[in-house]
Amino acid sequence: MLNKKRFFDLFVLVIIASFVLTACGGGGGATKAPTEAPPTAAPTEAPTDAPTQPAADKIITIAWTQEPDTLNKAYSSMWYMSVLTDIYSCWPWIYDEANTVHPFLLTELPTVSDDGLVVTMKLRNDITWSDGTPITADDFIFTQAMITNAANTVYSVYPYDLFTITAPDPQTVVMTFDEVFVPWMPNLWLGTLMPKHILQPVFDAEGTLDNAEWNRAPTVGCGPFNFTKWESGSYLRFDRNPNFWGPEPKLDAVVFQFVPDDAAQTAACLAGDADICYWPPYEDMPAFKKAGMSIVTEPSGYGEGWFFNIRDMASPGIRDLNVRKAIAMGLDRQSNTALRMSIVKVTETFWDALPQYVDPSIVQYKYDPEAAKTLLESSGYKDTNGDGIREDKDGKPLTITQGNTDKTERQNHQALAQQQMLAIGIDLQTSSYDSAILFADYSNDGPAATGKLDIMEWSDAPYFPDPDISYWLCSEIPSADSPQGSNYFGCDETLDKLFKLQSVTANQTERAHIFWQISKYMHDNVLYLGIWDDPDTWIVNPRITGYKFSGVTPFFNIGDWDVTQ
Amino acid sequence: MARYIIRRLLQAIPLLIIISITIFALLQNSGDPLATMGGKRVTRSEDRVRLARILGLDQPIYIQYVYWLVGNDWVKLDINQDGIFETTGQRKGVLRGDFGNSLVARGQSAMELIKERIPNTLVLMIPAEIIILTFSLLVGIFSALRQYSLTDQVITAGSFIGYSMPIFFVALASMYIFGVNFRKWGLPYLPTVGMFDPKIGKTFSQVAVHMVLPIISMSLVSISGYSRFVRSQMLEVISQDYIRTAYAKGLSERMVLFGHALKNAAIPFVTLVGIDIPFLLGGAVVTETIFGWPGMGRLFIDHLTRFDTPVVMGILMLISLAVVICQLLTDIVYGWLDPRIRYT
Repeated sequence: MLNKKRFFDLFVLVIIASFVLTACGGGGGATKAPTEAPPTAAPTEAPTDAPTQPAADKIITIAWTQEPDTLNKAYSSMWYMSVLTDIYSCWPWIYDEANTVHPFLLTELPTVSDDGLVVTMKLRNDITWSDGTPITADDFIFTQAMITNAANTVYSVYPYDLFTITAPDPQTVVMTFDEVFVPWMPNLWLGTLMPKHILQPVFDAEGTLDNAEWNRAPTVGCGPFNFTKWESGSYLRFDRNPNFWGPEPKLDAVVFQFVPDDAAQTAACLAGDADICYWPPYEDMPAFKKAGMSIVTEPSGYGEGWFFNIRDMASPGIRDLNVRKAIAMGLDRQSNTALRMSIVKVTETFWDALPQYVDPSIVQYKYDPEAAKTLLESSGYKDTNGDGIREDKDGKPLTITQGNTDKTERQNHQALAQQQMLAIGIDLQTSSYDSAILFADYSNDGPAATGKLDIMEWSDAPYFPDPDISYWLCSEIPSADSPQGSNYFGCDETLDKLFKLQSVTANQTERAHIFWQISKYMHDNVLYLGIWDDPDTWIVNPRITGYKFSGVTPFFNIGDWDVTQ
Repeated sequence: MARYIIRRLLQAIPLLIIISITIFALLQNSGDPLATMGGKRVTRSEDRVRLARILGLDQPIYIQYVYWLVGNDWVKLDINQDGIFETTGQRKGVLRGDFGNSLVARGQSAMELIKERIPNTLVLMIPAEIIILTFSLLVGIFSALRQYSLTDQVITAGSFIGYSMPIFFVALASMYIFGVNFRKWGLPYLPTVGMFDPKIGKTFSQVAVHMVLPIISMSLVSISGYSRFVRSQMLEVISQDYIRTAYAKGLSERMVLFGHALKNAAIPFVTLVGIDIPFLLGGAVVTETIFGWPGMGRLFIDHLTRFDTPVVMGILMLISLAVVICQLLTDIVYGWLDPRIRYT
C-alpha cells in the first residue's frame, strides 16, 4: 500500500513528467526534417528540433481553422492545405487578385496546338529548389508518374491520367492529351510539383511515396518560404527561403496557428494574437470593423445554392417544373442574404462568379409569393383542408424534403426558407448532416446519393476559374451497381450533351456560348438556384502591408507582404 | 488480493473485445470517410472507387475488423485491380501493436498521432484535476461545516450558477474578458488560443500562461458540481453516531473531521474520481477545441468528424483500457479507505 508521502511524490512526478514531455522534449508532435534529403541539401535551413524558434522581427500569424492532412498536395483535397502550397511550393502559373493568370515557373503561358491536344510549357532557366537544385522538366515527369502510379494512394489521379508527358530538353515540358481536354489549366500542377531528387530515392526504396517524410515535412520546396516546423495540433511555420529564385520575401516567417473554433478565431484576431483570420462568421464583421481591421473579399467561384433532385425517387412535387419555379419565387433570397452583413450578394446560376459563361438574357427569379401561389394552383396544388399545406389532386400534401451540411449559417437559412415555403403552402421538411454523411455513397445509404432529398444545399464551385463541372453528367448517377457517382440530381439528356460538348470545345468563344445554353437551360428548368455568392473573406490586421489575395492562389504575392513595426 | 487482480484483468479481455466490435461497427455505419476527404467538393467517383480499394474500405465490415485486429500481412491484395493478387498487406493489427495508418493524416500511424497528443493533454488535465479535487473538497467541507450560514448560501448559489453554465460559454466569456478586453483596457492579459505562442516557442512559462484560461473554464464547472457532492456526503457523515462518539471521547475537531468524517465521506467521491481519471486521457473536447489546445480531445473530434476509424478506434480503446485499470485501482482504494471491504 502506498503511504501518503509516496503517493504525493508520485503525483508530483507525474506532473513534472508531463511538463518535461511537453515543454522540453522538442514537441512530441514536431515533424523532423526528412532524412532522405541529400547531404548537400539546404545548409541554411532552420533547425527543427530547437525548443524555441529563432527570434525574428517580421513574423505574421494566420489563424487557420483546419489543420492540413498532409503537405503533399497530391494526397489532399483540403482547401486549407492546397492554398499553403503558394508559400512553400511553386506553380507553373499563378492567378492574381483579379484571378488573371500569369506565368510563374514559365517564361510565358503554355502554348496549345491547333488541334488542342498538345500543351507545351517552357520553363525559366533560373528556377531552383530551395537546396539549390535546378527545377527541370524531369520534376514534372516524375510528378505525373507518381500521381498515376497505383502504389501511391494519392487523392486523385485526375486529370494526370489523361495525357502523356515528354521533355525534349530540360526546360521544355510537352503534355499530349488523348483527346481534347479544355480545362487543363485550373486542374493541373496546382501545387503538386514534387522534387525528383528528393523523392525518387524514397520511391525506389519503399515502393510508394505514401510514407515519405517529405509529405509532412517538405523542407526542400520552391516557394518564397521554406517549411520549418509542423507541431501537430498547434501550428505550421515557414521561414524565408534564402535561396528563392524570385524576389527576396520581405517577411521573416509565416506561422499558421490552428484555431478550430470560429468564435475563438475571432477573439484571436481581435486580441492581436493572430494577424489574419479566414472566413469568420458574418456576424463578427462589425467587431472587426470597429477594431480597425481590413475585411477583404475575393471571388473564388464558390456559391451557396439549392440543387434540385428530379430523379425518379424524388417527390412528384419537385419533379413538377411549376413547383420548382414557385419555390424559386417563394424564397426571399434578397432578405435572407441581406442578413450577411452586405458581404455577399444574391446569385442566380452556378457560374455567377464567371459572368462570361452566363447567358446575359437570364432574368433573376424575383421574390413574388403571389405569383408562386398562382403557379402552384395551376399545377393543381390547393389547400383543401385548411391546414396551410397544399395538397395534390389525390389529397397528398405538397411535402418537399430539403437537406444540407450542418454549418450554422446554412441551418439559419434553412429555417427562414421553411417559413417562406410554408407561406406559399409548401411543407419543407428540413434536415442537416455532417458532410461525410450527406455525401456518403449509394452503398453507404448517403441521403444525397440515394435520392432521399428533393433539394440539397451547400456551397460549391466549378473548376474555377474554368467553368467545367461533372455533376450533371448522366454517367455520374449513383446506383447500386455504380455507388460512387456524384450526380444526385438526375439525368437530363440535353444537359448531358452540352456538358460533354463544352469539355471538348477548344475555341473559347464557342465554349462560352455552350455555357450560355447550359446556364439558361438550368435556370429555365430550375435545376439549380443560386442563394448567395461565397467569396473568400479575409480579415487583416492593419500592421500588414502589401497584401493581395487571389481566389485561386490566395497567397500569390506573399513575398511582397510586409509588416509595419 | 493478487488473485482478485488477476481475475479482474482476465475478465477485461473479453470485455475489451466486445467494446472494440461495438465501436468498430458503429463507426463503420456512421459516415463515409471518402465522401469529401476534408475538401469542399465531393470526391470524384473514380477516385472513391480507387481509394476504397487501396485503403481496404471496400471489404465487408467483418473482414475490415479482422484486418484491424490481426493485420493483413498474411493475405495478398489486388491493389491495381488487374485481377492478380500480388501485393502483401502491410498491417500487423492491434494485437501486434499496430492500430493502422490514419485515413486523414496520410502517412502517419494512429499510434504515432496519439502519442504526440497524450503529453499535451496530460499537462492540461492533471493540474486541472488537482485543482478541481482540491477546491471541491475544500469548498464542500467548508460549506457542510457551516450549513445554512450566509457563506454556505453564497457558495450554494455560486455552485448552481457555475454548474448551470455550459463550458463553451465559460470558455468563450473568459477568453473575451481576459484575452481581448483586458488587452484593450490596458490591463495585464492572457493569451486567447494555443498551447504557446509559436513565435516564442514551447517554453515552460509559455505553456503555463496558456493553461490558465482552459483550466479556469474546466475547473469552474467541475468544482461547482463536485463541491455539492462533497457537501452532501459530509453532511450525512457528520450526523452519524460514530462522529458524535468521537467528539464525546474528546478527540479534536480536526481529528474527527479529517480522521473519521472525511475518510468515510470520500468513498463515493473516490468512485466519481475513479470514473474521471481514465477520461483525462481523452482530454476535454470542448475546452481543447475552443482554446486550440493540441490535445487528445481535439484529435478525437477532428478525426471522428472525418470518420478516421484507425485513430478513433485507437483513442477509444486506450480510454477503455484506462477505464478497466482505473476501476480496478478504485476498488483497491476502497479497501484502503474502508477496512471492512475485503477482496478475495
